[in-house]
Amino acid sequence: MIAREARPAAPALDRTILGMFLFIASEAIFFLSVVVAYLASREPGLADARANLDLGRTAIFSVALFSSSATVAVANARRDVRWLGATMLLGAIFLVGQGSEYARLATIGIGPSSALFGTTFFTLTGLHGAHVLVGLIALAALAAATTRRTRGVGPITWEAVSLYWHFVDAVWVVVFSVVYLGTFL
Amino acid sequence: MRPPAEAIGTLALIVGAIAVAIFIGVEGALVYAVWRYRASRVAMPARFDRNTRLELAWTAAPALTLAVVFVLMLGTLRDIGAATDAQLRIRATGHQWWWEFDYSGIVTANEMHIPIDTAIDIELASVDVNHSFWVPELGGKTDMIPGQINHLRLLTRRPGVYLGQCAEFCGVEHAWMRIRVVAETKEDFDRWLATQGSPATASGDGARVFQSNTCVNCHAIRGTSARGEAGPDLTHVGGRATIAAGVLPSDAASIRAWLVDPQRYKPGAFMPRVPLSDADLDALASYLGSLR
Amino acid sequence: MSAVPLWVARPAGASAAGWLRTVDHKEIGVLYIGMGVALFALGGIESLVMRAQLATPNARLVDPELYDQLFTVHGVTMMLLAVVPLLVGFANYLVPLMIGAPDVAYPRLNALSFWLSLVGAIVVYFSWIAGGAPDAGWFSYPPLAERAFAPGPGVDYYILGLAVNGAGTIIGAINLAVTILLMRAPGLRISRLPLFVWMTLVTSFLILGAYPALSGGLVMLFVDRQLGGHFFDPTAGGQPLLWQHVFWFFGHPEVYILVLPAMGMVSEVIPVFSGKPIFGYRFVAASSVAIGFLSFSVWAHHMFAVGLNEFETLLFSVTSMLIAIPTGVKIFNWTATMIGGRIRLLTPMLFAIGFIAMFVIGGLTGVSLAVVPLDLQTTDTYYVVGHLHYVLFGGTMLGVFAGAYYWFPKMTGRLLSERLGRWHFWTAFVGLNLTFLPMHWLGVQGMARRMWTYAADTGWGPWNFVETAGAFVLAVSMAIFALNVVRSLRGGAIAGDDPWDAFTLEWTTTSPPPPENFRTLPAVTSRRPLWDRKHPEMRDAS
Repeated sequence: MIAREARPAAPALDRTILGMFLFIASEAIFFLSVVVAYLASREPGLADARANLDLGRTAIFSVALFSSSATVAVANARRDVRWLGATMLLGAIFLVGQGSEYARLATIGIGPSSALFGTTFFTLTGLHGAHVLVGLIALAALAAATTRRTRGVGPITWEAVSLYWHFVDAVWVVVFSVVYLGTFL
Repeated sequence: MRPPAEAIGTLALIVGAIAVAIFIGVEGALVYAVWRYRASRVAMPARFDRNTRLELAWTAAPALTLAVVFVLMLGTLRDIGAATDAQLRIRATGHQWWWEFDYSGIVTANEMHIPIDTAIDIELASVDVNHSFWVPELGGKTDMIPGQINHLRLLTRRPGVYLGQCAEFCGVEHAWMRIRVVAETKEDFDRWLATQGSPATASGDGARVFQSNTCVNCHAIRGTSARGEAGPDLTHVGGRATIAAGVLPSDAASIRAWLVDPQRYKPGAFMPRVPLSDADLDALASYLGSLR
Repeated sequence: MSAVPLWVARPAGASAAGWLRTVDHKEIGVLYIGMGVALFALGGIESLVMRAQLATPNARLVDPELYDQLFTVHGVTMMLLAVVPLLVGFANYLVPLMIGAPDVAYPRLNALSFWLSLVGAIVVYFSWIAGGAPDAGWFSYPPLAERAFAPGPGVDYYILGLAVNGAGTIIGAINLAVTILLMRAPGLRISRLPLFVWMTLVTSFLILGAYPALSGGLVMLFVDRQLGGHFFDPTAGGQPLLWQHVFWFFGHPEVYILVLPAMGMVSEVIPVFSGKPIFGYRFVAASSVAIGFLSFSVWAHHMFAVGLNEFETLLFSVTSMLIAIPTGVKIFNWTATMIGGRIRLLTPMLFAIGFIAMFVIGGLTGVSLAVVPLDLQTTDTYYVVGHLHYVLFGGTMLGVFAGAYYWFPKMTGRLLSERLGRWHFWTAFVGLNLTFLPMHWLGVQGMARRMWTYAADTGWGPWNFVETAGAFVLAVSMAIFALNVVRSLRGGAIAGDDPWDAFTLEWTTTSPPPPENFRTLPAVTSRRPLWDRKHPEMRDAS
């Protein structure tokens, strides 16, 4: 009995990882509110979406982001900066793809203020893009810290950064489904 | 079906009685505990700290009470909300900060007449921001939201004047957005509606002042060339009890005071001060007052 | 007689730079509480101006533009900028002490949370001198909050300020949740947590679920106002109601974010001053969790008048009634804790009892708002204003005062005066009932909320005058509390480690606690470790 009482209450879960999970949960609610807003505004914007979105190209760029989840998993498992580099490259390819989609829409006069579709589309994908950018910065910081320090960076940091990147990826699964697949299928 | 205010009033009495009973019971127990177990009366506190049966009982008791309240509520709901038994339809539109009432093409403002013993469907709309139509003695409120039409059932058995108020904050003059509902017999109502449907008859100097100034940009007086839509229809403004959505009575002196300086009485309202000579003001006020 | 209060005996020294740099949870707790007090005072001043304006019909003390700014900023302040920091401040100070931890999980993030919260509040208040404060109400319904109808910068400051403040609150909630889940002393199982810690844990999860939705809504409103978007613009197919759904998905849990920690404080005070363990610990804790879950399913009871369909109406009516059940369970358990006890009617207990007595009124009127036909009469009127002030002043603030009198000796090493404390309590009790009770019948008679004035023929004048008088009684009450605090800091009676004969871990360390919180920790084998230590012959069963 006494021995059981003396055992520390703290379980094996690391506090940084738990904190990252809670942060991701709160971010998920944030995206949920904007996704719900997109869906609630879907009908009036559907014709615009059908006429103007480029499903094929975006699908290809999406594959880049989806596969970056695999590369960050390998990077995390092997603590390998080269795999981090591959992840950053794939993330950057995705952002370039998004940028080119934005540029194309802008040339045909679609922006956040043009009509309801533009408002919801740019808000939702823009917020996601901003999170990808933050993820890229985190990956870069991790890579820099790993190469600079001789003793490397603790496993928890690798774990936390890759969790965040997986989340950014998972958000795109939802956003891509809602914005692109939901429009054309 | 019952008048909504009556249905809500009955429900309020029952729910209120239940609430008062709970209030007395809970506060009584609290006062008793403080008085009975104050330190000067107790040498040694007891140590009990649980009783699962009691816990379940006082979880179940409120649940049952609420179930009763819910069932009572269901009986009331069909008397309010959208009218399925409507014999008259009125479109009420909220503006910053006045009301437009449209009886199938006959338009008036701020003062709504209704026949008694007649179920009425009010279609609620807004041209700018959210408003809420509320006349407490006639029933609950329903919001006016731009881009959608809501419905409210009205029915009253007593003739009289019922006062109401915009209940959703709608900007600077939310407070001076009052509603006046006149409930009258079917015959009186029909006569009133016929009058409202006829064009204005008065004329004279005041009419000339009105037509030759900016008044016509915002206000309509049917039977003249004034067709503005931004402000209240003034065709029969003198027949209404008040002006500016309940700010002042509609006698010529008050109308004149209003014309001299609207911002003094309703600061923030969109009604501008129109510079007019004293003679023109007198003529205009008496003209508007005579539009019955 | 030393003029230096004990609480400045702190690791970083008493310098301003020390306070700016601190990452100690107790000092950050004091900073949060200081921020909360300052903003509570500002929000209170705003309400006094409003009450003065409403004292008589047709008054012209302020113009409607100013009045709209006053009630908007008062609402934003009290709902987000004052009471949340107060409660988070107490949690910051107390949670590590109550769970036997040296600090929170992330001390540096803790400092970041506080400074973000403060900067957010400053941004909101900066609007007063930067072109006008927000004036579309604390829930800023579009289209009124859209640029077309609110062209000034006020609503933009509202968006920016609340977004920054919210980010701080979210980070703070993560910190508290992780601290409670992972940093408890050996033996302090979840089922032995002090109830204040339990309710802080539930509150943290409510913040994590609710605040991000507000952030999402704020982004949309920002896009509409600054980038010409159309989310809530009915002329372009957008829906004003979308904002109401998003806002109240946040807004209703927010009410429980403000109430649950105060319930936690009361749940600590009542057992100690009754000399008994809390009655039905598991039910009190579980009812908090139930309230937490249910609070995310009741939001549309703020929207019964917007034209919901029948299914939505009934659904939200049912859930809103259900949430009364766990709330009732708490009231019953607190009363049962007192029964059979030995009640010491000291100031913390007076406020705790006042909390129960007043919260019952707010709770009962709350149920009436779940009954749709009654809600349609009372929503958006002074009835609701009265209801919410019984919940948030009669409830939360009396609970916070109970906690303040209870823990002030731990934080400063000095006791507050009992005599001034009783004056404080009774003036607050009388003042709040004078101010908020007449609101109920004024609302039913037709007085809509947010009216900058009213006509004399309404007959509302006399009761409004009573309310205004009550508000000034409340102001006097707050001044008595301030006097009590100042006098105690300058020379109050020395408290010692355990002035109340309490039960929980924070009373085992010195007052104020050392930087590392505990030199030695008692073994925790029950919910009342300090009771066990003081009464080894009659320890609680584990």
